[in-house]
Amino acid sequence: MMPLGLLGVGEHGEIAEIRVAPTLCSSGCGNERGKCDCRVEDLGIRVGKMVEMLRNAGGPILLKVDESRLALDRALAMKIMIKEVAK
Amino acid sequence: MKSVVQLKDEVVAPADGYRDATVDSGARRVITVAVAGNPNAGKSTLINAIAGSRLHVGNWPGVTVEKKEASFEHQGTRIRLVDLPGTYSLSPYTQEEIIARDYLVQERPDLILNVVDSTNLERNLYLTVQILELGIPVVMALNMSDEAQEKGYRLDVKGIEEMLGVVAVPTAATRKSGLDQLLEAVVATAAAPKLRRPKKLNYGYDIETAAELLARELALESAPLLERFPERWLVLKIMERDEHVLRQVNFGDEALLERALHHLRSEHGDDVESLMAEARYGLASGLTREVLRKPELKKTELTEKIDRVVLNRFLGIPIFLGAMWLMFKLTFDLSKPFGDWINDMTGGPFKHWASILLGAIGAPDWTVSLATEGVISGVGFVLVFVPVIFLMMFFITFLEGSGYMARAAFVMDRAMHAIGLHGKSFIPMLLGFGCNVPGIYATRTLENPRDKALTALLIPLMSCGARLPVYVVFTGAFFPRSSGTVIWSLYVMGIALAIVMGLIFKKTLFRGEAPMFIMELPPYRMPSLHSLCVHTWEKGKHFLIKAGTYIFAVSVLVWFLLNLPWGVENRKDSYLGQAGQVMAPALAPLGFGTWQAASSLITGVIAKEIVVGTMGEIYAPKKEEAKQEFKPFGEEVKEVAVSFGKACRESVSNVVSTFGITSLDTQEKEERSALKGMVLKTFTPLTAYAFMAFVLLYMPCMVVAFAMRQEFNGWKWFGVAFAYQTVLAWGMACLIYQGGTLLGLGG
Repeated sequence: MMPLGLLGVGEHGEIAEIRVAPTLCSSGCGNERGKCDCRVEDLGIRVGKMVEMLRNAGGPILLKVDESRLALDRALAMKIMIKEVAK
Repeated sequence: MKSVVQLKDEVVAPADGYRDATVDSGARRVITVAVAGNPNAGKSTLINAIAGSRLHVGNWPGVTVEKKEASFEHQGTRIRLVDLPGTYSLSPYTQEEIIARDYLVQERPDLILNVVDSTNLERNLYLTVQILELGIPVVMALNMSDEAQEKGYRLDVKGIEEMLGVVAVPTAATRKSGLDQLLEAVVATAAAPKLRRPKKLNYGYDIETAAELLARELALESAPLLERFPERWLVLKIMERDEHVLRQVNFGDEALLERALHHLRSEHGDDVESLMAEARYGLASGLTREVLRKPELKKTELTEKIDRVVLNRFLGIPIFLGAMWLMFKLTFDLSKPFGDWINDMTGGPFKHWASILLGAIGAPDWTVSLATEGVISGVGFVLVFVPVIFLMMFFITFLEGSGYMARAAFVMDRAMHAIGLHGKSFIPMLLGFGCNVPGIYATRTLENPRDKALTALLIPLMSCGARLPVYVVFTGAFFPRSSGTVIWSLYVMGIALAIVMGLIFKKTLFRGEAPMFIMELPPYRMPSLHSLCVHTWEKGKHFLIKAGTYIFAVSVLVWFLLNLPWGVENRKDSYLGQAGQVMAPALAPLGFGTWQAASSLITGVIAKEIVVGTMGEIYAPKKEEAKQEFKPFGEEVKEVAVSFGKACRESVSNVVSTFGITSLDTQEKEERSALKGMVLKTFTPLTAYAFMAFVLLYMPCMVVAFAMRQEFNGWKWFGVAFAYQTVLAWGMACLIYQGGTLLGLGG
């Protein structure tokens, strides 16, 4: 297992564990407390899912999950653990 | 599809458990259709394509999330479309989700139109599965079917219909295809809701057993609840311990819940919510496997190719800056001639016509002055902004619709982190340099209220175009040889203070963690001209209507302030002059404590370029009126048309010769040189610089104030901006003047 943020560009991985509290991430939506927000799971990042790293060059990462391209904060990417898969 | 259409003729009976269908005055039925779907599923394009100009945009009560509605006839049936905010789920974690599900549960639309992105089925079906829990009939628009086809996807539409118990219609909103079939399906389904109940999906033995148990207990102990809410949805939400729902239904029977969940918990652990999410996602993903066939070979998509360049580590920022520069350039070059044209027209012929007209009906002189100097000049000031704002909104809409805006946010994210903001905030701030007003409106693209408020607070520090005329006059008088550098230093001062204020706000008003962001980068698409125009109009019309009416009122007020008490001879004795005299001592430590400077600053609150205009009026020796010679009416009308044509030509040639902003100091030369002379007498270089800094920093103009009020549903954030900017402006100007004097620059 390793954090998603360490996956190299073009590499694939399988999500193994999501260590983010549901209230910690923001999908660009929000409530009055300014915190909140939805679960990364709702955007398709789920345990067991295969993901591909598209960009990883400092700053946010860009991830391909199914047919979506998702940009994630690096801090968020470090809290999602993956199993690396050779491909 | 035929058989579905025929159902329409069947007797319309109110479905059990549902509120009676809304009936209009003619006793004809109105079908209320809630439109739900993921963000980026093409929901708003679809609604625009269906409803077009019948769309009405408002806000959801109490929040700034847009609410779009449209009401129209289709084959003799009245359909009311209500657009729900785009969501990925119906959980209670975001404002959008809460709005969407509260509407669905409390208003109980006759039908839910679920817009699904066919190219991204699995994630879209996750929402669909949750929608089905409500038991409301669902019509599914399998949108972007054209793109799915291009990718070689094969969708089993019949299979989707059978497995979910919905009517599914492939659509391509951008090409307006499938819309008629979709509306037919909507009418037919609404006419026979009993026959079109969505399937109850099986969430697995353990969950279903617990759900049944809970439903039975609820029926015994709190039956009224089951009448008020859709049963299955309520049961599942209580099982999930959805706090929002528990509060709403006032459910506190822990023992009951404990009994129902006992087995489930002992088998699968305490996190029932995650368990249910898994079950739903499993259904969505299983269903996708059943109905979707993808081609084996995958070619590199165009989006991926573009992203490789646009998001490149080294090229990303230069490309972004280049794109922004181009947008600015095009906006200002294209719009400036039109703005000037409006300015000339309102200043010349319109005033003239108004005075002739009022003279003809024998209106007293003061009304002529009110109409020309007050109303026409005031409203003219707003109209001058119109071309800029609409063009800028057009380009922003294009960048949003094409998918580039999300990339820009991605690229700028790192730099913006320094002041506690995300990349997305960069765009509104950049727009602020052109005009703060579109910048404030552009904060609409920031859904997170914290980011939105912080960004809007910092935007007024971006030196807008309206402040430039003030700089031009003062630097022209005092720093003729280095005016470029001096003006540049003011822009830099604004940016530097924005960084400082960003850090201060981050530590005070916006304490706590910046929310981590996760954001979808949609595929690149060419937005259709029609949807570009619709969205541009939506963004711009708020400005036109609201700011227009307020400005109108305020400019009338200022006119009175300048001309009251009656028959005032000297501007100094007018109310505005008196106010200036009161304010002047407060400005004394800044080096420009004269009533003239104070009065001009007061009027600058309406629009900062007025500062120059007011100074012109105040400093100028008593006006010699009626010296202008007017041309005959017909000639003037011709001139209006001719100068409009000239504006069009200029606009085009500006773009062709894309370099160098039409220089400001070539215009209105004579008028300003007189003012420069007066300014030279009353200011020194040091006080002039302090004055410019004050103009840069003090309260943003009225239009910004109203824009902020509109965006934040109240005066709170404008109040904060007003307070900190006043302090900042006074402090900086004081620092410059007193510091400069100490250093011996006072002479």
